Amino acid sequence: MNRTEKIQGHTISAPISSDRWLTGITMGFLLAVLIFFMLYPVYDICKLSFYRGKVLTLEHYISYFTNPRMFRSLTNSLVVSCVTTVITTVLAFFFAYGLTRTTIRGKGIFYTISTLPLIAPSIIQGLALILLFGKNGLITRYLFHTDWNIYGAAGIIIAECLYCFPNALFILYTTLSAVDTRLDEAAQSLGATALKTFYKVTLPSAKYGIASAAALTFNLTITDFGVPVVIGGNYSVLATEIYQQVIGMQRFNLGATISVILLIPSVAAFLLNYYLTKKSYALISGQARPFLQPSRPFKKWAFTIYCWIPCIFILIVFATVFLGSFVKVWPYDFSLTLKHYDFPSLGGVAPVWTKFWASILKGEWQSIIAYKYAPIWNSLWVSILVAIGGASLTLLAGYIVEKKKPKGAQFLYTLSVLPAAIPGIVMGLGYILAFNKPYFFIYGTFWIVIINIIICNFTLGVLSSIANLKQIDKSIEEAAVSLGADPITTFTRVVFPLTKTAFLSNMTFFFMRSMTTISAVIFLVSAKVKLAAIEIVFLDIDGRTASANAMCTIIILIVIGMLVAMRLITGKTALKGMSAT
Amino acid sequence: MGRNLRLENLTKQFGMLVAVDHVNLEIEEGEFICFLGPSGCGKTTVLRMITGFETVTKGKILFDGKVINDLTPKKREFGIVFQSYALFPNMTVEENIAFGLKVRKMSKKDIAERVDQMLDLIGLRDWRNLYPAQLSGGQQQRVALVRALAPNPQVLLLDEPLSALDAKIRVRLRAEIKRLQQELKKTMIYVTHDQEEALSIADRVVVMEAGQFRQVGKPIEIYQCPNSSFVADFVGTSNFFKGARSENRVNTGSREFIISQRGDLIKEDVYLAIRPEKIEVFKYEDPPNHLERSNIVPGRIDVVTFLGAAVRLTINIGGEELISDIIEKEFTQRQLKQGDEVLLYFPPEAFIVYPVPVKEGSS
Repeated sequence: MNRTEKIQGHTISAPISSDRWLTGITMGFLLAVLIFFMLYPVYDICKLSFYRGKVLTLEHYISYFTNPRMFRSLTNSLVVSCVTTVITTVLAFFFAYGLTRTTIRGKGIFYTISTLPLIAPSIIQGLALILLFGKNGLITRYLFHTDWNIYGAAGIIIAECLYCFPNALFILYTTLSAVDTRLDEAAQSLGATALKTFYKVTLPSAKYGIASAAALTFNLTITDFGVPVVIGGNYSVLATEIYQQVIGMQRFNLGATISVILLIPSVAAFLLNYYLTKKSYALISGQARPFLQPSRPFKKWAFTIYCWIPCIFILIVFATVFLGSFVKVWPYDFSLTLKHYDFPSLGGVAPVWTKFWASILKGEWQSIIAYKYAPIWNSLWVSILVAIGGASLTLLAGYIVEKKKPKGAQFLYTLSVLPAAIPGIVMGLGYILAFNKPYFFIYGTFWIVIINIIICNFTLGVLSSIANLKQIDKSIEEAAVSLGADPITTFTRVVFPLTKTAFLSNMTFFFMRSMTTISAVIFLVSAKVKLAAIEIVFLDIDGRTASANAMCTIIILIVIGMLVAMRLITGKTALKGMSAT
Repeated sequence: MGRNLRLENLTKQFGMLVAVDHVNLEIEEGEFICFLGPSGCGKTTVLRMITGFETVTKGKILFDGKVINDLTPKKREFGIVFQSYALFPNMTVEENIAFGLKVRKMSKKDIAERVDQMLDLIGLRDWRNLYPAQLSGGQQQRVALVRALAPNPQVLLLDEPLSALDAKIRVRLRAEIKRLQQELKKTMIYVTHDQEEALSIADRVVVMEAGQFRQVGKPIEIYQCPNSSFVADFVGTSNFFKGARSENRVNTGSREFIISQRGDLIKEDVYLAIRPEKIEVFKYEDPPNHLERSNIVPGRIDVVTFLGAAVRLTINIGGEELISDIIEKEFTQRQLKQGDEVLLYFPPEAFIVYPVPVKEGSS
């Protein structure tokens, strides 16, 4: 017992515990980051839209609303978003119903295929539709010899439906699998027909989930840039109009004005979704679900066929782009070639990678891999940093909000979930306005891109961190503290190991978003700073569609590689529950 | 005087709610104290204030003569055992026990020695490399117990440590905790809502209700001489009669009992409490002799419940229900059964008398 006397030791009174210090400093840091890199750019946009020089004015709004060509972008956006919302929600609802309430076979395959759009940039839907239904489309030109093509509203809607499908599906799947199926059974045992049960019991119990999926789809569609930029043609929507005004005509005031206009429906849809999600979770019962009764053969067949339809569409999209990257001249010469993977000189350098590849490769391979592939290496490098930085920051923010709960934690939470409300393209423009200043040394470097992507995807990262931390019993941390561990030891030795799986899946999420995002960073790339996903847009604009397909394929392969790696590390499918919010 | 722990006017308020209300207590070194009370009585809050995880609204906590109100939990060096075990799921049994030693930067050799010592205490040497999820609840709580003891804390606090376990293991582990406490002579503060647990394990029991200490005393005192109707009701089972007392007689309206306690001449409203095992039960045809006639009451057995060694009878006396426990042997000898008409005898010395609380009496 002599030795242990030493342990008892002396007791020193600490007026302010180191724990509170650390919490305060960390929270201060996170708040500063979110205020400076999220609120400040948005504030700058709002300010610019109301000023000419130093004079407060509404003239930008007046000129937007009085110019029919520009004003059309608002009505176009609303039309496209509303139609997409209705179609996607209905399609995804019955798909989710099939996966949760029937005993069809192949649910795993259906689920996996339906999540595929998450691993590619949204632009892939547009590229595929153009290859099939465009001016030189396989189906339009080659099979039917028609002049009709898909550019415009129809193309945007179909592409957005495919893009939003997994996101809506995820919410509806969660809702329908959580609602107690015994209610359905009770209704049927009381004599209700299947149809009546569906209308009176199933549908009402899923109403918040349905509305939440609809709000999310609306938000994703109205803020998307990748799809309308390739398939919109002359059909301009708000997101593309912002880009046009700023990059095409250097009219920053109008760009800012349209951004504010876009912010309104986008924030409204976000708030609605947020509110409905809370309501929806309140309905979820924690009870175990009883065994699902076998569906009747007709129902099984009908839902199997139904579920294949979106899956086939999604598979066609991926197959088309994949194939499109390997054939000589789509749709006339289908002989295979690798020449589209030899990109035109895109410029830009990837500092470390270029040096590395240049040192080990020679001749043509050197020029392709080391120089022409620079945007890909950049994207990879940026994505790795985004994955580490994003997962770490959101874990810290979640930890403070969920476990430490200091004064102001609610404010931190609010700021943390806000980025999902702000369209990427608006955030991107905000970054130009706020940070394109000589004294702001990280502007024009990769660092601003990395910060931007982390901030834009902060919401889902924080929400999933919080959900995970909620599962850790409060006593576990208290046990560590009572055994004498300091806050840092408690976090690194106890809390972090317990959240490791969630941390890795958060990393995957950030990595995926970073590889595939277009809208936010399109304003931040430059001759020096190039990213693979953005190059798809530029290659497509240059008319090099096949190379755009090739770039898209490479991105998908990298993302799949990451998913496989994560699966090997964690033994779990990382894609589940990873839809964008 | 050793390292005593003292609570002085300790108070905790959550907004308007007073969870702990000016409580005072002196806990001596090596003492085993149990806080007993219904859920929501504030017992866990007292414990959490002692651990430092809850701030003190008013009053003082003194340890070894020094106020420790503002000391962080880490600095207090009190060990804690949680209801949910709170073992680190990512560490083995050995690593869990070593955790508190490692953060104190003890040498590897000392740690290994101490861990062995701790594992021997609970006889789990062979389990050292298992993870908590591979252990049963009882084993997990044993590990949690020695994990808390490993850094040799000044005081060990146990927050309903056995509530999550099933009955048999609870009894076994409770004996083990008692044995450890006597072996190590460690001050232990134990929170529970299980009165049997409290009475069997503690040196002194603190009965809490509504944030206040209702009675502090040895288990036998608490059981035999509860100082209020609340304690009499909460600790063990009691039958209550409300009545008016004059001298050694209490009139309950329908009958008059003789009690052995003498009060003043003045008539006052009182509660009479009597433990179920103090009531004697006789067959109606077989009345006892030489007993105080006015304390014999006729009744009928409504329900018979076997409790194992004892039999609990629910007896109806003129519309009122009361509970009587008799040992199984007696039950069989007297050939009692449900529906029997019986005579109940209430020994005068078995009655405990409480004044009716003012609030209630006025209504």
